[in-house]
Amino acid sequence: MIGEEEERHSKKKEEDVEELRELLSVVSKEVPALIKGIIASVFSEEAGRDMGRAAAAFYKELKEAGIPEDVAVKMTEGYISTFTSLGEVMKRAIGGEKHTETKKLEKELEKEISRKIREKLAEKGLAEKEEKEEGEEEEEDGN
Amino acid sequence: MKLTSLISAALHTIRLLLSLLVLWLSFGWKVRKARKAFERELVKAGMAKKDAKRLSAWYSKLKGDIIQAVKSSAFKWH
Repeated sequence: MIGEEEERHSKKKEEDVEELRELLSVVSKEVPALIKGIIASVFSEEAGRDMGRAAAAFYKELKEAGIPEDVAVKMTEGYISTFTSLGEVMKRAIGGEKHTETKKLEKELEKEISRKIREKLAEKGLAEKEEKEEGEEEEEDGN
Repeated sequence: MKLTSLISAALHTIRLLLSLLVLWLSFGWKVRKARKAFERELVKAGMAKKDAKRLSAWYSKLKGDIIQAVKSSAFKWH
């Protein structure tokens, strides 16, 4: 009986190890490939060239429109900042930080809930007061 | 059977860690190449080199942000 239990336990352990081996085999192939793909989409020479071309086209248009050099550079910087917002998005996504709007919504929700609770308590307080007064009147009538 | 599975699991883990290490080491080099390519395009369009260099700094900022985010999430798991 005990022997059978031990055998079952040992079999289960072997299965777990086998499962772990298979999992690690898949993870060791897929995860690096995935990360490589993500890095290559933004941080490769080709990606840099394409983004540079986009920013350069924007800058050229501004210059052709007659905008002064320093203003055109500043505006191009603003245009490029849309790319840096990706960093903020990733920070929030990975770091688990809440978006400003979500925080605002939570605060509003909190206020609303507190208000409702206060209202209910006030109603309850009034109802108790009325009950008390009724009870006092009945006592007086009885006397 | 159990021993071979354990050895195989250990080898896969080592392989994963080595791949991640190589990616980590090559990350900085890739960022530098992308940044240079970005600057070249801006200079071709007529922008001054110092301005192009300043604008391309977002690449390094983005790299820093991503590394920071990965580090903070790794510490959270611990």
